[in-house]
Amino acid sequence: MPAIAFGQGFQVNLHGQKQIGMGHTGTGLLQDGASILFNPGAVAMLPQNYVQAGMSPLLFKSDFNPSGTTDQFRTKSKVATPFTAYAVWGPKDARWKVGLGVYTPFGGLTDWGQDWVGKYSLESLNLKAIYFQPTLSYRVTDFLSLGAGFVYNHGSVDLTRAIPVTNESGQDGQAQLKGGGHGFGWNAGAFIKTNVGLTIGLDYRSKVNTTVKNGDAIFKVASSIQPNFPQPNTFTAAIPLPSTSSIGLGYRPSDKWLVAVDVNYTKWDVYKTLGFDYAKNTPTLQDTYSPRNYKNGWSYRAGAEYKATSKLFVRGGGGYVTTAVRDGYVTPEAPDANRYYLTAGLGYKLTKNLDLDASFEYEHINSRTQTNIESQLSGTFKTNVYIPGLSLAYHW
Amino acid sequence: MKTYKSYLHILLAAGLLGLGACKTSINTPAPSRGTADFSRYISVGNSLTAGFADGGLYLEGQQNSYPSIIAAQMQKVGGGTFTQPLFNANQANGSGYLKLTGFNADGTPKTQQVQPAAVRDQITIPGFGNVVLFTKYTGDLNNYGVPGIKLQQITFAPYGNLNGYFERLLPGNSPTNTTTYLDFVTAKPYTFFTDWLGNNDALLYATSGGAGDVLTDKAVFSQLYNLSITKLTSSGQKGAVATIPDVTSVPYFNTVTVGAILAAVQKANPAAKALYINALNSDGSHSARVATAADLIILTFPTSMIGQPVAAAGGLPYGVTPLTPIDDKYVLDQGEVALTQDYVNAYNTTIKSVASSKGLAIFDAYTFLNNVKAHGLVVDGVNLSSAYISGGIFSLDGIHLTPRGYAVVANEFIKAINKQYNASIPLANVSSYRGVKFPGNNN
Repeated sequence: MPAIAFGQGFQVNLHGQKQIGMGHTGTGLLQDGASILFNPGAVAMLPQNYVQAGMSPLLFKSDFNPSGTTDQFRTKSKVATPFTAYAVWGPKDARWKVGLGVYTPFGGLTDWGQDWVGKYSLESLNLKAIYFQPTLSYRVTDFLSLGAGFVYNHGSVDLTRAIPVTNESGQDGQAQLKGGGHGFGWNAGAFIKTNVGLTIGLDYRSKVNTTVKNGDAIFKVASSIQPNFPQPNTFTAAIPLPSTSSIGLGYRPSDKWLVAVDVNYTKWDVYKTLGFDYAKNTPTLQDTYSPRNYKNGWSYRAGAEYKATSKLFVRGGGGYVTTAVRDGYVTPEAPDANRYYLTAGLGYKLTKNLDLDASFEYEHINSRTQTNIESQLSGTFKTNVYIPGLSLAYHW
Repeated sequence: MKTYKSYLHILLAAGLLGLGACKTSINTPAPSRGTADFSRYISVGNSLTAGFADGGLYLEGQQNSYPSIIAAQMQKVGGGTFTQPLFNANQANGSGYLKLTGFNADGTPKTQQVQPAAVRDQITIPGFGNVVLFTKYTGDLNNYGVPGIKLQQITFAPYGNLNGYFERLLPGNSPTNTTTYLDFVTAKPYTFFTDWLGNNDALLYATSGGAGDVLTDKAVFSQLYNLSITKLTSSGQKGAVATIPDVTSVPYFNTVTVGAILAAVQKANPAAKALYINALNSDGSHSARVATAADLIILTFPTSMIGQPVAAAGGLPYGVTPLTPIDDKYVLDQGEVALTQDYVNAYNTTIKSVASSKGLAIFDAYTFLNNVKAHGLVVDGVNLSSAYISGGIFSLDGIHLTPRGYAVVANEFIKAINKQYNASIPLANVSSYRGVKFPGNNN
């Protein structure tokens, strides 16, 4: 099955402003409705009911310097809009809660333009995965709760690349692959309160195989060779979104401080090939299978929250994420490398029931000099990501 | 609450705008000219150097000549201006050239001749023939590429009267010129040169099917190569040279094949067993024999001639009987291929040894193009090959290059120069140059 997948660069960990502020920790915490994603097992332990929503506009700024040149090609400024919405409800003092989460765990928006050196690999890419997760959580005892959710994913892809066929005006051809599909998965977790004040969370978010069927395959080429690229045409591709296993710890050293760590293990090895299976083939237009051979990746995250006043919370955190992309496989769709990030956040209780949280994240993807084994595109990628964010949470 | 919200909204919007201005940058070391000086670079050579493409010299080809691409990159390490003898915009079609107009049902290309725009006159030189003269170029000159010139001709004083492309660069009119090519290119001081002469000493023999031209004598080649390099380096100038490609590595000899013609013949007449050619014998004579895959048919062979009755042979069909072989001029047969390759190898031995003795950079075009033919070449996500039209490197004449092909060559020269002179001239962006132009626009 041909497959496209979201590289590590496209795992989006923007799942709640409180958690972003604390360096994307939350598996072992009881912060708010974002526990639906971080750990459905923790949901039943939440002290209140929640309705909340947030958005984290993301600027992905990549630079490419082809080997042996002084040229710099930069991605255009485009703002991706990862968002979250969670609702958690249960009767007061009941052992159970139900919830619904809508969030964007994978996605990417990259636009290198039509004039850059790697245009035959990629011009632009807009990938989105929106997960809908109804969730049930149950408090087994005072120190243990369990929970699980069903995941429905709506995924979409919109990719353009140049075709090395020059028309009579001297312009390249262009391919656009655009379509949507859906897939299913699940999310389950456990939450443990220990008698020494340490909280522990375990969570497993399953792989979500998503298939784009009958997406539009649009090829614009010089009219004299259009028959080689039959139109209209469609493509099929599979999107194996990887599973993530997490363990998280939380601890309150004092009334004013909360500290947390999380470790994630992402099974990227499901991403073997980038493939497009076209409904109509010609000797020129064959199905494509580009090797990706990703490896599994680790994320190490830590964060803290300080209660400055009864209404104001200050947060900070950071982490380190290992790349899923092996040497020789780095592509402009995911110019990935090991990365570190730093986060900061502010929380303010507007009223007893309403929290306003702001977060900011800076991510630095290490520069990486590579020659891609397939395209021979050779050079150095370097990427910075800037992510402000804001959310409102109503709780009662 | 409303004030908080609107305030934060503004903050967020302002923040995003601010971030939008952030630029990710990669530090690159400043490029260096190394031990070379590119303040006046000149290019010496033939049609490849002039930017000849699609069977003609025209403005777009000139603008994408490999010397102009190299010079633009040299300017990043202190190189000077580089002026080419461009046809002006009103005469952009220059000598005229081939244009692709579409494809036949069997997939073969249809081409059309674009009419010349820069022809000034035509004169007849007694004992030589007709010479087409082009609009004169006056002004600065760095690219001395002259289509058609052989190494053998660079010290021949009347040559400026016989080659319209050379005559165009000279102040005087044919037939009054007496300046040799070598004297002309070295007349004005320069600090660096590229020299890619010698192709035509073998190529013109090969493209004529071994029938209309002769190979330059090996000893003459050696003597003139030594002479020219000695003169080009006489003031200590540095430079780069290139070897001569194997003539069989170009699509001109590999597109129309014996197998393909025979298959077409057999489609119409299943009884046909073989094609016949007029082949070179070891004693230098020619006689008819069965064609094999080792015999190379030239790109411009009119395949429609096959099977036509030949009146001189009693109406026997052309090409398919021993009495009506395909004419020598359409075929570089196995013996002629071997002869050409032997000469090219000898020329290249000379080129490499002379260049090495002078400490010049060497772009081994022979090895490079043979590798492209054998394995293809992937650059910036484009699969390039030696295939006609689809390969992206060779232009419609099957010998000269597309802008993309010339950019590839420019980068190979730059790599050789960087290596020899410890320089770091930045490479050109091959993907920004075009391949063969296909008719029509994008839908």
